[in-house]
Amino acid sequence: MKVKIISIPVQDQEKALQFYTKKLGFVKKVDVPLSEDSRWLTVVSKEEQDGPEVLLEPVPNHFEPAKTYQKALFDAGIPYTQFNADNVQQEYERLVGLGVEFSVKPTEMGTVKIAVFNDTCGNNIQIVEML
Amino acid sequence: MADVDNNLHHFAVKQFHKMLIFRSRPVNGVYLSVSGNVNKDTDMTFYQSEIDRIRSICYSNQGQIETVIGTRHYINNNFDKELNLDMLSHIRFTSKFHLLRLFRRYYGQTPKQYLTDKRIEKAKELLNKGTNVTETCFAIGFESPSSFSTLFKSRVGLTPTEFQKRATFAKSV
Repeated sequence: MKVKIISIPVQDQEKALQFYTKKLGFVKKVDVPLSEDSRWLTVVSKEEQDGPEVLLEPVPNHFEPAKTYQKALFDAGIPYTQFNADNVQQEYERLVGLGVEFSVKPTEMGTVKIAVFNDTCGNNIQIVEML
Repeated sequence: MADVDNNLHHFAVKQFHKMLIFRSRPVNGVYLSVSGNVNKDTDMTFYQSEIDRIRSICYSNQGQIETVIGTRHYINNNFDKELNLDMLSHIRFTSKFHLLRLFRRYYGQTPKQYLTDKRIEKAKELLNKGTNVTETCFAIGFESPSSFSTLFKSRVGLTPTEFQKRATFAKSV
C-alpha cells in the first residue's frame, strides 16, 4: 500500500480551490466532475508535484455527521491537518499579507514551531517547521 | 529535507494528539469534558490551551531541547561524513547513551535512523539532478555503491539507477 492522497473536507470546492492555489500556493492536479455539485478535486505542493495529493472533498455538504465533526474541530481550534513549511514565521507573514487569519501565531513547541490558520472552508490548518 | 522532516513533524503531532486523547479518558468514570470551546477566562480556544499545557509537560527542559536540536542540525550539516554516537555525544558534552535516549524521546527516531533518512533524501536530490550512482553514493557518506543500492531500494522501492531513469523520463515528458 502507498500513501497518495490525504483528504480535507471543504464546504465549497471552488472557494477551496481558489484558497489552496492562490493563497497557499498549491497547484491543481486532478479535477474530475462527479455530479452537478461535486468534483474529484486534488491539489499538490508546488515544490513536490509528484508528492501526496490533497483531496478537497465536499463531504460536509453531503453527510451531516461530517459537518458536525468539522464544526466541532473548528470551534475548538483544532487543526484538521497540517502542512510543512521551511520557515513558519515567513509563511505566517506572507499569508497574513494575503489576508489569511491565524488563531495560533508562530509558536515554539520544543523541537517544532507551529502556527494555525483558517482555510475559510471550515477548517483550521496547522503549519509546522522542524527546529 | 522535506521527507525526513515530514516524518518528524508527524511524530510531534501524533504525540500531541495522543495527549488530546489522554485528556478525554474517563477520570473516576466520568469523561473530562471541555466546557465550551473557548475558555471564558482566557479567551483561548481548547487547542490554544492544550498547546500551553503540553508545552509545560513535554517541553519544559530547554537544555535538553537545545541538545537534540543542535544534534539534528549537526547531522544535517555533516551527513556526508562518517558520523557515530561517540562523536555526536562528544560535541554536545553528554554521554552517548544519554544523547541516544534524548534524541529518541524528542524525535522518535535514533540519530542513526535520522541520518539514514537524511542520506536517502539527499541521494534522491542528487540523482534527480543527474549525478551518477557512484558519485551520489560517496557524496552522501556511503563507502560501498552496492550497500548504498541495497539500502536505497529497500527505502524507495527502486534501485538508484531505476530511480534516476524515471526522474529523467519525467523531466523529458
